[in-house]
Amino acid sequence: MSRPRFAQRTTFTATVLLGSVLTLAACSSPGGTAPTSKSASTSSSSFAGGAPSCGTAPVALSTYIETGFPVPKDLSDEFTKQYPNVTFNIREDQFAVITQNAPRVLVDDPPDLMRLPQVSELAKDGLLLNLDPYAKAFGWDKWPASQLEQMRVNSSGGRGDGSLYAMGLNFSMTGVFYNKELAAKFGMTSAPTTLAELDADLKKAKEAGLTPAAQFNGGATGGLAFPLQGLMAAYGDASAINAWIFQKPGATIDTPTNLQAAEHLKSWIDAGYFASDINSIDYATMMSRFIDGKSVFIFNGDWESGNLDAKMAGNVGFFLMPSATAGGKFGAMSAPLTYGISAKAKHPDCAAFFLNWVATNDKARTIDVQVGGSHPMGPADAFMPSIDASTVTAQTLAAGAQIGADNGAMDFIANATGAIYAKSWTPNLQKMDAGQLDAKGLLSAVQGDYQSEIGG
Amino acid sequence: MIVSRREEWLGRTLLVLLMLVTVLPFVSLFVTALHQPGTYPSGLSWPATPHWSNFADAFKAAHMGKLLWSSVIIVIGVVPISMLISTLAGFALGHLRPPGGRAVFIGFVLGLTLPFEGIIIPLYYQMRDFGLLNTRWAIILPLIGLYMPFAVFWMRAHFINMPEDISEAARIDGANTWQLFWRIHVPLSMPALSALAILLFLWTWNQFLLAVVLVSDPAQRTMAGALGAFQGQWGTDIPLLCAGSLLILTPTLIIFLVFQRRFVAALLQGSLKG
Amino acid sequence: MHKRSTVIQGRREEDAVARFTTESRRRALSARRLRRGGLALALMAPAVLAYVVFVIRPIVMTVQYSFYEWNGVTPSTWVGLANYVELFHNPELSGSIVHAFELIIFFSFVPVALGLFTANAIRGFATSRLAVVSRTVLFLPQIIPLVAAGIMWSWQMSTDGLVNQVLRLLGLGRVGRAWLGDFNTALPAVGVIGAWVLFGLCMLLLLAGMTKIDPALYEAARVDGAGPFREFFAITLPSLRQEIVVCLTVTVIAALASFDLVDNATRGGPGNSTLVPGLEIYYLAFFQREVGMASALAVALMVLVLAVVVPLQLINREGKS
Repeated sequence: MSRPRFAQRTTFTATVLLGSVLTLAACSSPGGTAPTSKSASTSSSSFAGGAPSCGTAPVALSTYIETGFPVPKDLSDEFTKQYPNVTFNIREDQFAVITQNAPRVLVDDPPDLMRLPQVSELAKDGLLLNLDPYAKAFGWDKWPASQLEQMRVNSSGGRGDGSLYAMGLNFSMTGVFYNKELAAKFGMTSAPTTLAELDADLKKAKEAGLTPAAQFNGGATGGLAFPLQGLMAAYGDASAINAWIFQKPGATIDTPTNLQAAEHLKSWIDAGYFASDINSIDYATMMSRFIDGKSVFIFNGDWESGNLDAKMAGNVGFFLMPSATAGGKFGAMSAPLTYGISAKAKHPDCAAFFLNWVATNDKARTIDVQVGGSHPMGPADAFMPSIDASTVTAQTLAAGAQIGADNGAMDFIANATGAIYAKSWTPNLQKMDAGQLDAKGLLSAVQGDYQSEIGG
Repeated sequence: MIVSRREEWLGRTLLVLLMLVTVLPFVSLFVTALHQPGTYPSGLSWPATPHWSNFADAFKAAHMGKLLWSSVIIVIGVVPISMLISTLAGFALGHLRPPGGRAVFIGFVLGLTLPFEGIIIPLYYQMRDFGLLNTRWAIILPLIGLYMPFAVFWMRAHFINMPEDISEAARIDGANTWQLFWRIHVPLSMPALSALAILLFLWTWNQFLLAVVLVSDPAQRTMAGALGAFQGQWGTDIPLLCAGSLLILTPTLIIFLVFQRRFVAALLQGSLKG
Repeated sequence: MHKRSTVIQGRREEDAVARFTTESRRRALSARRLRRGGLALALMAPAVLAYVVFVIRPIVMTVQYSFYEWNGVTPSTWVGLANYVELFHNPELSGSIVHAFELIIFFSFVPVALGLFTANAIRGFATSRLAVVSRTVLFLPQIIPLVAAGIMWSWQMSTDGLVNQVLRLLGLGRVGRAWLGDFNTALPAVGVIGAWVLFGLCMLLLLAGMTKIDPALYEAARVDGAGPFREFFAITLPSLRQEIVVCLTVTVIAALASFDLVDNATRGGPGNSTLVPGLEIYYLAFFQREVGMASALAVALMVLVLAVVVPLQLINREGKS
């Protein structure tokens, strides 16, 4: 074959190849077809025989839950005992992994029930089932409105009002747990009632050679957000913080009182009240250290009350983050343990029935309190199991009542957007702990990320 | 080579030190796996009561049987097909040398350095459109495509070094191209083929990115992908995680120790040629 | 009918006769070549098809996606080069690329340098029992998935892990810390894991190359009075050009494209100090649902790998000629 012909052939085959590939790919812009499911779809599903149920045929509910928390599993077991035709296909993953997987899993491998810390973007994209029909059928809208407020998303993606897109297995309460034995070592015999007293207690703990707080702050979950939010409520107003979390127009996290709170946290970091390696310890390590008596305080929630009562019986106490001013109102992160039903779920009715059962069945409510340590959802006058007053569960439930009275319930600041926790709060809190960022820098960085996420 | 006694002694010590550093993490994994679940053992410490049951628990918790089976299926899906089509292509490019072959070969070579992250995004949507997400095909099909640059390069390099005389002699005897390929060249390529098989097996078994992104069910992934899922689920229980990791490592370790020499030779050749 | 068969028969006879003339021999040769060319193309077709569908098309699609803003679910919007501009301005994104280059120091230079040193030190007894056993042992890190290496080492580098235990034994307890959780040491710590994984491969490659060097060269050098240093730099190093380039290529690609290791050891933290492009692409596309931005980063990564590897290969080419 002569040279020119060879070269011709080569270029010819090359162009044909390239051309065909380009035409293949350049057909349509990505995601060109309109979305198949619309957001805020009020599907008028008529339920056979009044309220939705699981029927009598065998049903396998697929659930995707958070690893390390026995409540959903215990509830599932009890449900299967009462309704033997329903079995559960449970998949577990860590909190950070679930949040990361949520958008993909809901589209490609939708479970019936999924633990979802943050639902507003998922609801806006039409990935979650609108639960209003179930709320009507089961009478959820007759419960105290504050229970459901955080799970409502309106048509423009704003939270706090609108249709219901998730339901909680219970609602939790956060504050400060402390090891009574260790506390006695430096003379702390009762919980502090003002912020100044807490500062003093932390100082005494440090001087006594103990680790005041081995708060988790590593990996993709920055646990310093717990004390930070507690301090924010101690200095400022809970409703302002909620407005920011609910993406209300014009809301900002960078306020004067929040700055005071962040600076107060920074002062604790600088004084060495947190363990030196908190940027590398995760939630489970923190719990392990606290239970082993290697940390005096931890900033955590009452979902651990049951666990702590079992492992540290009589040795653990709880108090809400005290106010900055004596006699001030209490505010605390108090949020439902949110579970959503995928828009493409195979057994939505049964999943909704399960959620209702958790809130109304006596046995289920008992499990919620005894194993989960948290207050169940449901009507204000529903059955409550009796609790031993000496347990920390009793203390956390009492704190819940206090928060209710002070109207201080807030959602978690980490739930403001889908990615704000892993991509903004966590790295910035880690930087602040390492001394690379100050209080003002923390708040402005987070506000900047927040704006680019909701604006873009 | 003239080497002084002292140099040799230093060399041996260095080697032993390096081997220790290499092996210590494995030992640490094993020892930690024997501790009580839920605890955080400090460093390398033999537990007071070794919990051999951790291995059984991890086996059950990870559904090891299913994971092994899944990985085997994926390897069976990927390796034979890849070897077949790459050998055909390598034979065509290296021995038959058709016009335009050089352009095709350069096309393959350009893909040799491709990082998988470069195309994982469209692969995801492509698999979604094919309806293959969360199935083993989502791993098998892209891997076959992704192995082509190296495999074709490898087999072509082998066929180029095959002397023409053999083929000439066979043609004179009346063999057509097909018979030439199957009866003569394939048997002669056994060393290259077995090395390629080892490499592809290893890369498939240890494939992580594709498994994690394209398949959410651990029972449909590769072992490495399943380990990722195992860590996601049990990552907070260190002894159990270590036990599970060790179990997942064991099949490859056993195969490696049995076929050591072949493995090492294959990997060394693979890097040189690639 | 009858006419056709005679025509065909005639042609066959013609062919038989033509086989014996040189001019038609050439024609027959080119005809065979064409048939063979056709067969060859058919043989190549499956490989090319797999390659085009699962590699070439995705590459083109990545480039296409990089010009849009898309969340993977709803229709996309064209943004032109905006994503690439953002790549340069956003410190998180450009930082990830910087981190990948920093990892090259640990993934590439350390294994190659240490490999050279070790291979040189042991080539004297390369056939002894110890060396043969070491071949198997030092290869172990290459056999295990990187996920496993990440799990192993993240446990060992924790506050109570093996590394700090050893440091305490050596009296350096004060230096100990949570290596993967500390802003200053997280990236080097990930680098150390990578070096551990890649060292064995590099050393064995270099050793294999060294054993191919003609011993006569060394004899001559010793006769000339050259010491071990001169020997190394004048003889060993130049002869290993190809092996060194291979080591560098493999390890540089491993560093730039790292995902498995970083995802398991640190997830990109603390802060964003160990964020690498591979990981950031994954997070951007599937977690933050910024497919366009992720694709732009993916394109940048592919270009970067080529930009580093191609010059390396050219050095190799130069050396050969």
